[in-house]
Order: sequence, then C-alpha cells, then structure tokens
Amino acid sequence: MTAMIQLRSLSMNYGNFCALNDINLDIPSGVTGLLGPNGAGKSTLIKVLLGLIRVSSGNGKILGHPLGSMAKELRMQIGYMPEDDCFIHGLTGIESMQMAARLTSMGRIESLRRGHEILDFCGVRQERYRPVQTYSTGMRQKLRFALALVHDPKLLILDEPTTGLDPEEREAMLNRVRVLSHDFSISVLLCTHILPDVQAVCEHVLILSAGRVRIHGSMEDVCRVPSPQFQVHVATDGVGFERSLTELQVPVTGRKDNVLTISGFPAEYGDQIWQAANTPGQFVRSITPSANSLEKLFLEAVREGQHGNS
Amino acid sequence: MGIHNLGYRHWQGDRTSSAFHWLVVAENGIRRAWGSSWLRRMLFFAWLPSISMGFLIFLYEQSESGSPASRATLLQLSPLLMDSDTDIRNTRSGVLDLLTKSRESPGEARHTFWSSLLLTLFRRSQPFILIPMIGIIAPPLISQDIRSRAFLIYFSRPLSRTQYVVGKLATVLFYVFLITLLPALLLFCTGVLLSPDLSVLSSTLDLPLRIFAASVVIALPTASLALMLSSLTVESRFAAFAWFSLWIFGAFTASLITNAQWGAPDSGLRYLSLFELFSDVTATILDPDLGDREIVEQLSVLTVITGVSMAVLIRRISAPLQA
Repeated sequence: MTAMIQLRSLSMNYGNFCALNDINLDIPSGVTGLLGPNGAGKSTLIKVLLGLIRVSSGNGKILGHPLGSMAKELRMQIGYMPEDDCFIHGLTGIESMQMAARLTSMGRIESLRRGHEILDFCGVRQERYRPVQTYSTGMRQKLRFALALVHDPKLLILDEPTTGLDPEEREAMLNRVRVLSHDFSISVLLCTHILPDVQAVCEHVLILSAGRVRIHGSMEDVCRVPSPQFQVHVATDGVGFERSLTELQVPVTGRKDNVLTISGFPAEYGDQIWQAANTPGQFVRSITPSANSLEKLFLEAVREGQHGNS
Repeated sequence: MGIHNLGYRHWQGDRTSSAFHWLVVAENGIRRAWGSSWLRRMLFFAWLPSISMGFLIFLYEQSESGSPASRATLLQLSPLLMDSDTDIRNTRSGVLDLLTKSRESPGEARHTFWSSLLLTLFRRSQPFILIPMIGIIAPPLISQDIRSRAFLIYFSRPLSRTQYVVGKLATVLFYVFLITLLPALLLFCTGVLLSPDLSVLSSTLDLPLRIFAASVVIALPTASLALMLSSLTVESRFAAFAWFSLWIFGAFTASLITNAQWGAPDSGLRYLSLFELFSDVTATILDPDLGDREIVEQLSVLTVITGVSMAVLIRRISAPLQA
C-alpha cells in the first residue's frame, strides 16, 4: 500500500518551543485517526500538511508532492475542515460553497452546481439560502464539512468533525466519512478527542504527545495485546468459576468481579470452560479476546509524553 | 428537503487558472459592498460634479464656436463650479483670458481648460465623497474575516496571501476608480466628442494618462491605509473610526503646526494632513504648470504610506496562521 503521507525527521519550532519533534511517519490511504492531548502538535501537523507553515527541519511527501513546495497544487487536492467556527461573513451557505469551489478553480456555473450537490450529500437543506452567521452549531459543522469536500479532494483532513452534533447527526457524519473512504477512495485524517469516533471509522491510528509520535499503526495492530489473552464474563459466582477453571488446569491470570482473564486463545481452553460452566448456577455471559482499549493507549501515550517532558 | 440529492460523485471538469483567484475575493467584496444603500447614494452624488463639468465643457465648446449666450453662462458658472487654485486662477477673468487666447492657440487653451476642470474634479469634489466612501467599504473587509476566522477557509485553498490582499485591494480600488478614473475619463471623452474635430486628441492626449496616474496615486495609498486599519481590529467600527480620525486629526494637526509657524507653510509637515498631500499630488500630476510642488517629496510620502500599510497588512494576515 502506498503511503499517502510520508514524513522524515520532521521538526517544527516556534521560537524555543518544539511543537513537532523528529516526526517519522508513513500514513497509508484509508481513514486514519489523529489523536493527542491539547498541545500535542496536531494542529501544527495539519498546518504543515496544508503548507501553511514552513517546517524547521526535515522533509516528506504528501500525495506524492514534496513537502513545502507546490503548496497550491497540494491544497487543490486536500480538503480541510477546521475545528474553529469559521465562515465568510455575509454569505449564505450556497454562496460560501460557490466561493470555496471557485477558489479551487472551478467555473462559476459548475461551482454552483457542485455546491448544491455537496450540500445535499451533507444534509444541508433549504437553510443553504440563509446567511451562515444565522446557522446553529450543527449546521455550521455540516457546512464546514461540505466546504472541505466541494472540490473533490483526494485527502480530507477533518478536525473534530462531530463536535456539537446530536447523536443522529454524529452517526450520519461518520457514515459519510465511511462512504467517502470506502466507495470513493478518499483518504481521511480524522483529528478528534472522541475516541469512539476513531474506533468506529478509522483503520489506522496515530497518537501524538508532546510533539512526538507515541503510537502509530493499524487499529488492529495497535489494539492487539502483546501475548494472547481472552476474558470470560460469568453471570454469577466469579470466585467459584475461577476455582473450577484452576482445577481444570486453565491459566487464569486475573479476575475482576465476574470477569476472568485467561492467558492463551479461547479455542485452546474451550472444553474446560464449558466443563466448568456445566455446574448448576454457573452461566457464561461472553468469551471475548482481550484487546487494548484506545482510551488506555491514549492515556499511556499522554503519560509517556509528560514523563518525556519532565 | 434537498435540492437534487445524487449522493457524492467525483468531480471531473476543467479547472481555470489559479492566477485569477484574487478576482473571486474581489468580486465577493464588491458584491457585499454594493449591498450598502449608503454606498449607492454616495456613488450617485459622486457623479453629479462630473455631470456639471461636462456641461462646462459643452459651454466652452459652444463659446469657441461663437455663441454669446454660452459665453455669458460659462463666465457666470465657472466661478461657482471651478477650483480657484488652477491655471485659470481667478476663474472669471481667467476664463475670459482663456477664451481670448483660444483664438490664437485653440489647442493650448482647450488643454488648459480641460486640465483645470479635471483638477477641480479631483481636488474639490471627489475627496468629499471618496473619504466617507472608503470609510464604508474598507473597514469590514478584513476585520470581519479576522473575527469570523475566514482565513482558515481562504488559505486552506489554493489562494496565496498576496492574492488575498490583491483581491481586497481590488475591491476598494474598484469603487475608488468608479468615482475618480471613470468620470474623469468620461469627461475627457465628452470633451473630445463635443469639440469641432478629432484633432483635439493630439493636443490633449496626455490628459488620459494624467487622469490614470492621478487616480492610481490617490487610490493605492488610501486603499492600503484603510485595509491596514481594518486588519488591526476585529471590530469594523473601530477601523472606520480610525480612518476618519486620521483625516480629521491629520488636517487639524497640520493646520495647527502651520499656523503656529513651527514649520514653513510649504514644509513637509503639512503632509500630516492627508487631504493636503493628495490635493498637492493631484495638482502636480494634472497641472504641471503649477510647478511649485515637490513631486518627489509627495510621492515618497505616498510610497512610505503604501509600503508600511502593506507590510502591516501582510503581517496581520499571516499571524493567525502562524499561531
């Protein structure tokens, strides 16, 4: 798989403050979640990708274009949805779309047609004829998403796209991201603090902390635990079930209430587990392979960043 | 309800050149400014002086062809409508002398009359519309973009900061030229059409160039200055206040200094008044016979105003992206 973004030894300093420190990355196409605490360097990384700021050192390629050169050509292929509430004062939704499209070299009529088409896709209805400053937070969010998409980008950078949306709209927004990625091969860099959003749509994850890459890889690899483990959730007496399993030579490594952690694969100990369950009053609720939760990984990365700083 | 929901589709079409993206910014600014009814009223009033000047040209040409009624009307109207600080000086006797002179040298007399009319237009009528008009157009142009963080929309697209500034500048220049360059050129064309034959072109051919130069020299520094003020605040009313204050307090300070004789009346200190500065520089450009003006000094001051304004403007626009 070719890397959509390649960064090598990239550093970015604001005076004495190091916002990005020796970043080496290969982000493949697909949906990538960009996570990190406040001040981790996410916004700086986005500005570097958009060619809005020059890096202090290092190099890289974005969509095949060398970093720092051909910024205009690059921005023609990148759609950016900022986190900040931003709009062009005095314009209606459709006028904003038309203007954004024309700034990417679309013709006047074509930009109007395309603007309407993308607003339809993004669920902006008749309110498109109202001035943007009268929009609600959710509507502005959808408009910003539409503005990022109007010129048919190859890479979409979404900064907190679901913030301020109600649960239904949030789900719709994530569905749009899925559709764009799977059906139209548009790569997405999803920058968010909402970890379930990342788990719901992302194939890859990148965690930044204190300007460094802490975790980077496919979601599957990142969340996989070092040695195989699985968990058995029982309905009633966890202590009794643990005792039964231990008697049957099953390596139980831990218990929290009614959840037992067992070292190995579920298939290895299936017979013993069902034998233990064949006791009056014992019910197995679920057997699930263990995985690192994204939240746990995120907190570990933040802690690592804090230790690195101190 | 959606308009015509077709779902997402890839876009395939021809893209235009990105070199003209500034035009999109300018077009948006011009359209938004046009929404102001005050601006439309000002434009209407800005054209009235040039219509009256056109009438004076008509009377002048009629007088030349021997119409006594036109001659009498011209002599009566000229002192009312024309600037006394022109080549014709004391206008009534000046016009009389000019009409006498026109028998011997019609081309030279016509040139003197037309350039005096243009100078009147540029110095005595248009500034009174130009200053409030820019005070309406320019202040919201950048301050509103800063307040609504529109830079993130503009600069995440293939639009450079220079193109953005050029687009905003073009918005102001469009309206400034609409009340300076355009009426003056139309006045010139009116004169050519009313004159006996097209040979007048040979004796007045420098005038369109002078009109253009005077318009640019007025428009560029004022537009840059107004946009710089707009970029310094998120409240457009503060920018408007600063704009009017610069003109009023500048004129007040310059007159105070001149009256208190801290500097000679013709010293550079009088250029603290932007009004004086623009008045002098247009006089130098449109009527070179008023040769006591220092064009180098005037242009240097205007270049400094434009340069500093542009530098501050670019810095202010870049700041939100660097943060």
